[in-house]
Amino acid sequence: MSLVNRLWDRIKWLRRSSMLRLSLLLSSISAVGFVVAIFVALTLGQNAIERRVDATLTALARAAVLEDAQGDTPSMILRPLDNLRGLPMPFARAVARGGGTIDLDRNLFRSDVWRVLVAHDSNDVPVMVAIPLEESDQARELLASILWTTAGLVIALTLVIGFAAGIVAQRRVVRINETLGRLAAGDLTARTGHQRSKDDLDDVARQLDLTAAELERLVSQTRHLSASIAHDLRTPLARLRAQLEMLPPGDGRGAALEEATRLSGIFDTIMRVARIEAAQGNDGFKTVALDDLAQELMEIFGPVVEDENKQLQIDVTTPAQVQADRQMLVQAMANLIQNALVHGGDQITLLVHGHVLSVSDNGPGVDPTQFKEIIKPMVRLETSRTTDGSGLGLALVRAVADRHGATLKLSQNSPSGLRVTLNFADL
Amino acid sequence: MRILLLEDDKQLGPWIAGGLREEGHVVDHFEDGKDALMAAMGQEFDLLILDRMVPGLDGLAVLKSLRASKNVTPALFLTALAEVDARVEGFDAGGDDYLTKPFAFVELSARVSALGRRRDGGESEEAAQTVLRHGDLSLDLLSRRCERQGQGIDLMAKEFKLLEYFMRRPGRLVTRTMLLEQVWDMSFDPTTSVVETHISRLRTKIDKPFETALLRTRRGEGYVFGQ
Repeated sequence: MSLVNRLWDRIKWLRRSSMLRLSLLLSSISAVGFVVAIFVALTLGQNAIERRVDATLTALARAAVLEDAQGDTPSMILRPLDNLRGLPMPFARAVARGGGTIDLDRNLFRSDVWRVLVAHDSNDVPVMVAIPLEESDQARELLASILWTTAGLVIALTLVIGFAAGIVAQRRVVRINETLGRLAAGDLTARTGHQRSKDDLDDVARQLDLTAAELERLVSQTRHLSASIAHDLRTPLARLRAQLEMLPPGDGRGAALEEATRLSGIFDTIMRVARIEAAQGNDGFKTVALDDLAQELMEIFGPVVEDENKQLQIDVTTPAQVQADRQMLVQAMANLIQNALVHGGDQITLLVHGHVLSVSDNGPGVDPTQFKEIIKPMVRLETSRTTDGSGLGLALVRAVADRHGATLKLSQNSPSGLRVTLNFADL
Repeated sequence: MRILLLEDDKQLGPWIAGGLREEGHVVDHFEDGKDALMAAMGQEFDLLILDRMVPGLDGLAVLKSLRASKNVTPALFLTALAEVDARVEGFDAGGDDYLTKPFAFVELSARVSALGRRRDGGESEEAAQTVLRHGDLSLDLLSRRCERQGQGIDLMAKEFKLLEYFMRRPGRLVTRTMLLEQVWDMSFDPTTSVVETHISRLRTKIDKPFETALLRTRRGEGYVFGQ
């Protein structure tokens, strides 16, 4: 089964081979060329033969005297025009046309193709001369078969070379493609490791390997850096927390602890965004049904929204299943709902349409020219400076979207408000 | 419990050790990985609390060596490395739990007790109870009924779970982080006031109609259930 599958894969791949496509195109062009050339050659050839035969026939007729020479022999039929008895009908029709080549449905003197001509004998009496064309016809057939065979061989050879080149190139292209796929899936150790023929494909492969190596270096550097930052910041935060907890109970201590919690919350979010952005592969991804997710979000956040005297509704049609990190999705959606709760109107809608997940509100919305700005980390619009928040919400949503290969789109909700859409269909 | 603590921070180490001692544990505190490993090889402990980045030998390496020599003492990693792969590394090395800095002491304490219970053979009779009682409040886990002073109280699913979590920890401080993890299965802060909303709804149902409040807020720290 796997062999069949692999073969099928290979064939599917071959269809995508540009080399093969080119050779197929060239083969078809040359096939058409051959057909035209052979057709022209054969027609011209036949015309030439016919002209020569006609000249011979005219000469023969001129040289003969009807009374002496008339009669039917396997090599020539010579008759006066009014005496065509005994000859098949096509002869009479050819005479009526003034001559031509006729094809009999049976052999007459071992030949079924005859060249008929109306000429004059040495006494200027009109006569019909006919000679069998069997030999010249055989020559023509031979010529045709030689031409067709040559054409067939050339086309077959072109195809074979095309296929061979296609397969060879395909192997290398597949390798490059697989490497790119592994890189995209997060395996930064993937390399094409394939440099032999020193051609353009090798140049591409080598550049790809260099790029991958650089990417791997950068990512590991970033990881190391984020680990150091995490350590250097979390330890003092932990100390701060410990010291606060050691203070005698009271409102001051509570307020300080709240601030410490908020501080580590912001730091956690920064680290989380960085972590999601640097993460690779889809370890931990599971099948998530978007309708279940919407239901869960409704259950978690519905009461929160209600307590603010606002409404959270869900709108689900043909929900799809996606491969995702459920926690991450919940977190992203939580951020969107929180944003809508703080900046939006009194109606928040959680929508699931197929692979599309969106949160919209009926608030004042955001000026479309600022859409690009607000998904940048830490950017907060002037109008929202006064409200609580770190400006990391949408950056996190974007990181989650990127992580899942989903597209993030901000748009105006109708009639008013902001709509943030995550589309998983472009996977 | 006899606890081995490996923590090199001059402030955090004594704070953790002191807190655990106050709770009645015996704590051996080390600041160097090699010393901790030697001690753990030579003596029996009930629990290991290991920091990841310490001088001498990383906490991870300490645990790996111990597990390699068939030591099965429960281990809790305490670390500034919060990355998922760092957590996975910790669990792969044989760690039983993972707590990220900064943390509230009660969170550490709750995890220590949980690991202690696991060591003593599961959740004991406390978990097997089907009816939880506290004063005039009772929560029947099988029939999903809640009553206070004989009056039935209707609880939503999350409120029920929240109350059950509190009733299993009477008199103990419970942080928002603990609730998010245990009741909502969220290892992150949803920034939304999910916890506050549910606590306030729960209060409206179990406390408001009655004279005494059972659920109290400790500002900046969390919530305490019971007198």
